[in-house]
Amino acid sequence: MNKDVKISINGVAYEKSVPLRMLLVDFIRDEAGLTGTHIGCTYEGRCGTCTVQMDGEAVKSCMLLAVQADGREIATVEGLASNGRLHPLQEAFNEHHALQCGFCTPGILMNTEEFLKENPDPSEAEIRRSLVGNICRCTGYDHIIDAIQTAAKRLRQA
Amino acid sequence: MTTSESSATTVSSAPESSDWVGRSFKRKEDHRLTTGKGQYLADIAAPGMAHLVFHRSTHAHALIKKVDTSKAAKMPGVLAVITGAELKDQILGFPQPVVVPALEAKYPTFWPLALDKVKFHGEPIAAVVAVDKYQAEDAALVIEVEYEPLPVVLDPEKALEAGAPRVHEIFDDNEMFALTFTGGQTQEEQDANDKDVEALIQEADVVVKQRFRVHRTGVTPMETRGALAQWDESDGLLAHVTTQRPHIDRLALADMLSIPPQMVQVIAPRDQGGEFGVKAPFYREPILVCHMARKLGRPVRWVETREEHLMCVSQERDQIHDIEVAAKSDGTITAVRDRAIGDAGDGCEGVYWGFLMPFLGAALLPNAYDLPKCDIKLRVAFTNKSALSPARSFGAFPARFALDRAIDLVARKLGMDPADVRRKNLITELPYTSATGVHYDSGDFLKTWDNLTKTIGLTAFRKEQAKALKEGRYIGIGFAVGAELSGVASEVLVPMENQPGYGAATVRVDPRGTVLVFEGDAPGGQGHETSLAQIAAQEFGIHPNDIVVKTGDTSITPFGSGTIGARAGSYTASAVSIACRRLKDKIAVIMAHDLKLEDATPEDFEFKNGEVIYKGGNIRKTFVEMTNRIIMMPLDLPEGVDAGLDETAFFEADKPMICFSCHGTIIEVDADTGQFEIKKYVTSEDAGTVINPLIVEGQVQGAVVQGISNTIFEEFVYDENGQQLTADFENYQIASAADVPRVMVTHAGVPCPHTPLGTRGLGEGLPGPVPAALGNAVSDALQPFGIEITDLPLRANKIWAMIQEAKKKTAA
Repeated sequence: MNKDVKISINGVAYEKSVPLRMLLVDFIRDEAGLTGTHIGCTYEGRCGTCTVQMDGEAVKSCMLLAVQADGREIATVEGLASNGRLHPLQEAFNEHHALQCGFCTPGILMNTEEFLKENPDPSEAEIRRSLVGNICRCTGYDHIIDAIQTAAKRLRQA
Repeated sequence: MTTSESSATTVSSAPESSDWVGRSFKRKEDHRLTTGKGQYLADIAAPGMAHLVFHRSTHAHALIKKVDTSKAAKMPGVLAVITGAELKDQILGFPQPVVVPALEAKYPTFWPLALDKVKFHGEPIAAVVAVDKYQAEDAALVIEVEYEPLPVVLDPEKALEAGAPRVHEIFDDNEMFALTFTGGQTQEEQDANDKDVEALIQEADVVVKQRFRVHRTGVTPMETRGALAQWDESDGLLAHVTTQRPHIDRLALADMLSIPPQMVQVIAPRDQGGEFGVKAPFYREPILVCHMARKLGRPVRWVETREEHLMCVSQERDQIHDIEVAAKSDGTITAVRDRAIGDAGDGCEGVYWGFLMPFLGAALLPNAYDLPKCDIKLRVAFTNKSALSPARSFGAFPARFALDRAIDLVARKLGMDPADVRRKNLITELPYTSATGVHYDSGDFLKTWDNLTKTIGLTAFRKEQAKALKEGRYIGIGFAVGAELSGVASEVLVPMENQPGYGAATVRVDPRGTVLVFEGDAPGGQGHETSLAQIAAQEFGIHPNDIVVKTGDTSITPFGSGTIGARAGSYTASAVSIACRRLKDKIAVIMAHDLKLEDATPEDFEFKNGEVIYKGGNIRKTFVEMTNRIIMMPLDLPEGVDAGLDETAFFEADKPMICFSCHGTIIEVDADTGQFEIKKYVTSEDAGTVINPLIVEGQVQGAVVQGISNTIFEEFVYDENGQQLTADFENYQIASAADVPRVMVTHAGVPCPHTPLGTRGLGEGLPGPVPAALGNAVSDALQPFGIEITDLPLRANKIWAMIQEAKKKTAA
């Protein structure tokens, strides 16, 4: 069974008829063609690579149906840079070598962008706790912490 | 601790302004990966692409009585359903020579889909191809399989017993592989060696005899496996595969599918979401994807689910070591005897066959210690588990745990500090060949080791530890080391995997003075696009941003055996360097000719800051001028010199090379709960000349955390029927950021004399020393209870139980 939905992703409205069972992550990847949002676990929300923001709140898009996002605003990693300028998090991740394979990175960026809005000056322990829903297999996390601290500092000064 | 502090003792002095090697150049890969523009396998699609989904066994060991696909075939969107019985007549099966080691072993015959019986929970039995992936999943679910369950065998020791259920009927027993690694080639030589070792054990001042067991765990990457195959009657097969060895896959696919090899192109996507060895085998699933694309005449893609991944691959370690270590009263180790047992699972896996990991683990067991007298024997069993597949610290992780834990036990018996026993037995004279025949090329192990004990503050710690104990706090320190492969020379890889070990690179200079580098291997996060650009930039004296590195496409890159064994920094980087140097010589010869510098030799020219400089007379031309002249204006060339600037080099070191890593950790254990906290983790590296310190630091930190996660958190669990209980990340738990400490990386190495730039590859073996370092630290902390960690995983509940046991004994 299908349902008509209107989902805004990074400010662009996608009007589609989708099966009720379609996951939001599949809508983002397959219907909108935005493949920066990834799938890394068995849709149990554990790996965090599918993290996007829905109305400003970080959510796991593999644990939502597309129809649940009807009428909502979704933000994905593709929308993080604005006017051709990278977000301070994206810049800091490059400076600190906070990614290796990069598969987990979009989810971490979308989770952390929201986290820093709520907690602009986090301690290292707070940053580590904020990342428990995002597994990184490559870096050992230290460089990610460094990058988030740098970005937080720049965002506070901005 | 900041990044700059953690690299305080780098090996090379700060680079001059024109040096690109040694600089923490920001990665070229990151822009696309941080903006969502990376193109991983699941992001690549083709017009008209269909989706393949497997139906997998629900039994660990059972005869297949019947596979009913009739319902599935009628489901909406279904294009094809295929079973093993049908497939058997359409393609060739394993083993195929290009993916079989040149080692005597029992190599089972198998096809991508099971034929008449299944041998592990998760083995593919049938597959559906449908227009839509949801439809393919629906149809795969309604395939009905009638099983006749057989007795399962899960314990490798029981599997080796007479009368055990046989995993493969074609073989008389479950002993897949057995080898004596020491003493010589003949039985007589080996027997004589065994006797010598026995005599040394008999006459030793102390002997430690202990069983160590490391559980099944591995380094599952965040991106699962996958394949996208396209078929064209005249062009042949184009296959995108998540793989570390596209060139080997190309040959193997051509063989198995009976396609002329020139009609097979394999592309490893330039973005792969982690590899760690898991993507190195030639797996069965992509073969079927390619076959179905050819059969249906339309593109077919399979993207592995996490459940499939955890059930079928990423399972490594899983070894038992019964080890004896004999030593003199001064701590000198005189002999080591090890009886190792590996669990290969069903062994059905191209290239590695489930046993190459324990094979290499046994060969690497002596590690960086001077142990001329060893008696090391390995047996590997078939069981009803999925085939062991590689994970970095390939096979060595359990072996490193066993020996480096045993050394602490020796120290305990002698009343010495384990650090002193370790230092006493480190190899001091290199090159060195181990009792198992592994060649260590160069290095200064004591320098690297002393840097570690100094950095971690061993002397001060012992005082702090004594003080803490008086306060009822249990803190401990643990060390371990790893002499790891830095690339695998043909001398080793040809006999081991039937594949060449050389590193290969093509360097193509553009008329506009920019450079393309082609690498036949296939990275997955290691930063080759940056590191190899730094190498070429260093050679040509141009900016790394003027260099683009292309990887993984068999149609444009030179042959390479794959991204394996830490070979990029040693073998591939050296191939790039050599190709650049040949081109520099050519440029110099032409420039000398043009300027009529009759006595000039290539050594008189320097490539720096975008210029080619004749040092004799300070005559300069820009690099662009020269490349444009040679490629676009091939007039009046010196005699015997042809046009163009395009060079392929194959680098092979005469002897295998290593990198060396020492690990130290400080842990506090809560004796009431068994919980423990890693307070400090420090490594000291000899990576030769470091190409990019930030990338190297990331490699080490990531590998150490993988080792910590393997040691403490991750474990593949099978129940008594062989049902896999850990096929998702809720149950197969990987360490999160909140679970792990900072990892401090320091360097105290020496440039490698066998590579053009002194570089060594590192990365593959780095998790190896972690379990022993952790086990040694926890045991050190709990010496008041006499506790020794011998089994992994290292979990609080087990430690708590050991403390309770020890307390009972003391009370009694």
